[in-house]
Amino acid sequence: MGLASADIPVSYSTPSSLERGKLGYVPEVWNDPPWIEGDNDYRSVTDKVCRIAENPRPPIAWWVGFLIAASIAGMFGALIGYLIVTGVGVWGNQNSVSWGFPIVNFVFWVGIGHAGTLISAILFLFRQHWRTSINRFAEAMTIFAVVCAGTFPGIHVGRVWFAYWLFPYPDTRLNMWSQFRSPLLWDVFAVGTYATVSLLFWYMGMIPDLATLRDRAKHPARRIAYGILSVGWTGSATQWRVYEKAYGLLAALATPLVLSVHTIVSFDFAVSQLPGWHTTIFPPYFVAGAVFSGFGMVLTLMIPAREWFGLKDIVTMRHIDCMCKIIIATGSMVGFAYLTEFFIAWYGGNPYEQFTFINRAFGPTAYAYWIMVTCNVISPQLFWIKAVRRSPLLIFIISIFVNIGMWFERFVIILSLERTFLPGSWQSFVPTWVDLGMLVGSFGLFFTLFLLFCRFLPIVAMAEVKQVMAHVDGLAKRSHS
Amino acid sequence: MTETHDTDEVIQPKRLGLLAQFAGPDELIAAAEKATDEGYRNVEAYSPFPVIGIDEALKAKGTVLPWIVFAMGLTGCLVGLGMQLYMNAYEFAGAIWGLSGYHYMISGKPGPWSIPAFIPVTFELTILLSAFGAFFGMLVLNKLPRLFNALFRSNRFADATTDGFFLFVEATDSKYADTETEAFLSSIGATGVEAIDEPTSGHALPNLIFLVGAAVGTLALLPPLYLYYVWAAPTSTAPRISFFKDMEDQAKYKAQNTSTLFEDGRSARPPIPGTIARGSGKDDIPLYYGVQQESDLSASNAATPARFAAFSGGKTPARFVQQTESDGSPDAGDAAPGDDGEGQPQDAQPADAGAEGEAAEPNWVAEFPEALKINEAFVERGQQRYNIHCAACHGLAGNGDGLVSQRAQKVSGASWTPPTNLHTEAVVTQPVGRIFDTITNGRRKMPGYAEHITPKDRWAIILYMKALQRSQNAAAGDVPAEVRREQPSAS
Repeated sequence: MGLASADIPVSYSTPSSLERGKLGYVPEVWNDPPWIEGDNDYRSVTDKVCRIAENPRPPIAWWVGFLIAASIAGMFGALIGYLIVTGVGVWGNQNSVSWGFPIVNFVFWVGIGHAGTLISAILFLFRQHWRTSINRFAEAMTIFAVVCAGTFPGIHVGRVWFAYWLFPYPDTRLNMWSQFRSPLLWDVFAVGTYATVSLLFWYMGMIPDLATLRDRAKHPARRIAYGILSVGWTGSATQWRVYEKAYGLLAALATPLVLSVHTIVSFDFAVSQLPGWHTTIFPPYFVAGAVFSGFGMVLTLMIPAREWFGLKDIVTMRHIDCMCKIIIATGSMVGFAYLTEFFIAWYGGNPYEQFTFINRAFGPTAYAYWIMVTCNVISPQLFWIKAVRRSPLLIFIISIFVNIGMWFERFVIILSLERTFLPGSWQSFVPTWVDLGMLVGSFGLFFTLFLLFCRFLPIVAMAEVKQVMAHVDGLAKRSHS
Repeated sequence: MTETHDTDEVIQPKRLGLLAQFAGPDELIAAAEKATDEGYRNVEAYSPFPVIGIDEALKAKGTVLPWIVFAMGLTGCLVGLGMQLYMNAYEFAGAIWGLSGYHYMISGKPGPWSIPAFIPVTFELTILLSAFGAFFGMLVLNKLPRLFNALFRSNRFADATTDGFFLFVEATDSKYADTETEAFLSSIGATGVEAIDEPTSGHALPNLIFLVGAAVGTLALLPPLYLYYVWAAPTSTAPRISFFKDMEDQAKYKAQNTSTLFEDGRSARPPIPGTIARGSGKDDIPLYYGVQQESDLSASNAATPARFAAFSGGKTPARFVQQTESDGSPDAGDAAPGDDGEGQPQDAQPADAGAEGEAAEPNWVAEFPEALKINEAFVERGQQRYNIHCAACHGLAGNGDGLVSQRAQKVSGASWTPPTNLHTEAVVTQPVGRIFDTITNGRRKMPGYAEHITPKDRWAIILYMKALQRSQNAAAGDVPAEVRREQPSAS
């Protein structure tokens, strides 16, 4: 018997004695329909989630996906080796467009990494219970996106065996220290802190669920592995008390952190003196874009995953619907930022700034600009239509558009380097096959890590879902009364 | 049991407590409340998710974790700020291992602190250390990692992470008694009660494993340490092995190498015919050197002198040593005595200079070189150049009282060597060639201006200087009659 349909009064504020809109009208209390659908209890949720990691024979789609992703990741590794042996000349980077694809990819992946912490931390602080079904997924995505992101500045330094120069360390030859007034150094600290805190947040959230896997494990090897990973978690009230406090504090810490990281990434551009980069709108506009692209990527991953792993009861269309609405909001913010940039370029009266923006929209690389506008500003507006928000296929397609659009946004920003102050230094950027191979390769690395995560770790935060079932959906009260 | 007691001791497992299972979170809360109301204190609840209200039911105390996080956050903030100030704003001379700090001077701006620029890193470190405090504080307060727990021996307890709700009454509780407590737990709605004993079987890790592990771990450190030692203090004379080609190894010809690229097999190339190298083509000796055409330039001060300066803490004036490469006499030229600020003894008394073992004075020209056109425009050019290059020290009128000199006298007092007054007898009587050489190569504290002023402009300055000297020693008759104003009192 469906708990959801039978036991919970789903009431959409029916008019009471007084009519709606009249003075003294009191709407009835909104009873949230349950977030977990179908005939599920604590054990069935555990079974459904753990089954994915416990299945000795993963679905054939997993194998196909993993082999493709791992091959592409291998190609990525080979290309990095080729780069190190040969030098940065294998890229299309040149004197004018000195940042090129590596920095585009870095900003793109860091941006994607923002949705995970946003869902985990900000939605947690706002008590958005729908996050529980998707947060683990999104946090894992964050970690893997940050891994991809961190790779690019690491190899972009050219001589990668000196990448440790990025960090402040006592140098006995020069007696010099890092220049802490440089946004590039802030970036090292911001991205490093973000990766560390995201990892802690993700891992700490997983400890109770790893304990579930440990207690269900049949094979001794699995029991030992999950036993070590779950650090001896028992689920005692004392442990939960400290754990919940720690989780809340981490959420409160991660919230300003997630806002600061893309702010500091935007400083890499905004603190320079270049037209099109030197604007105060960059920090908020980058953060909105990061959330936008992150949610796009969550949807891209979530829609096939819930299909293949049988998680439709736990990750419901209501969850997807909420994410679509966030996409509308952040996509509109990004579109508004594009308009503001143009307005300020005109209103500011700086001829170089004006030229840059006219050049973006109507210059030789106008195609990139209009791909960006189409994908980021126009396509998410389709989510205003309810039928679109109900169709997993359409949502999936639009989420891909969002990913493409946000990559092009960073590409457009980097292409501003093509034409700066001096026409004598103008140069067109042409990516090489290594550039394209590394872009594709980073996706291979991302999906390889992600498929491994799906195979071996709890992909839904079971303990949190159960808590929402008990305290929000009312399962605890209903099942015994 | 008592029969075997003498021969084979039966291990009586130590009772740890009673584990009671309950149907759901609400039952667990109700039972926990009853247990604590009954007077049990060492009671713990276990559930697959945090049950809201269980802490109140267990009458549990709050956690100190927020204070740990706060302390860590404060530490991160101070460490971040302190690190940046130490590394970027101060230097500590004499520190070892590169730990001296480095004071960056940015655009000559005052003050070593750049607090706005230090905010991002300070912020990130605050968050980072706070997060460490939250995560590791959680582990420490929960006494984790602790991989073994007697409760894990209970099959029933495996459900605690899926859908089992348990209450555990510890045997250490003052109210605990096996049968009474079991009866009490059943009475408050437990669906099952199980005794948990301290395990008596199982294998503990042998102590040897720690010893072996420590030994292996220590030995594993030796190879990297040896490699570091070899790398840090190499004794080999062979060139070092570069895994990656750094800038020390460049695709270029080094000096005196052969080349297959050119017919003559030399990598160094002669000048291209018809071109003039920088510094050559100065055939007009008086114009470019200020000496007579037939002079031997190799003996002259003017020929490519190398100058060295030695300062001694600002107390004594600067001492310059001028060397000429050709005559082999390291002290050729004028080595002025340290405290001689006012006069110019060598200039005025060439014989004196010779007595000090110096090379003979070159044959200075006394007239302006013929290549120059001496006219009013040339004087005006000289005035303009003089005001730019010379007046800052020597003064607009040549009295040696330029603004630089006035300021330096205020700051340094007696240790400052004032610039020469151009109207002294010694300077006025100098041949123009000698003055030209002074401007070109410098004298005493005055640096050479060859890089700043072209030879013709140097001559123009000398011409203007001559005009200044004449103006300072002029009689009324020197002023042309048409511009002369009648002075009633003087006539």
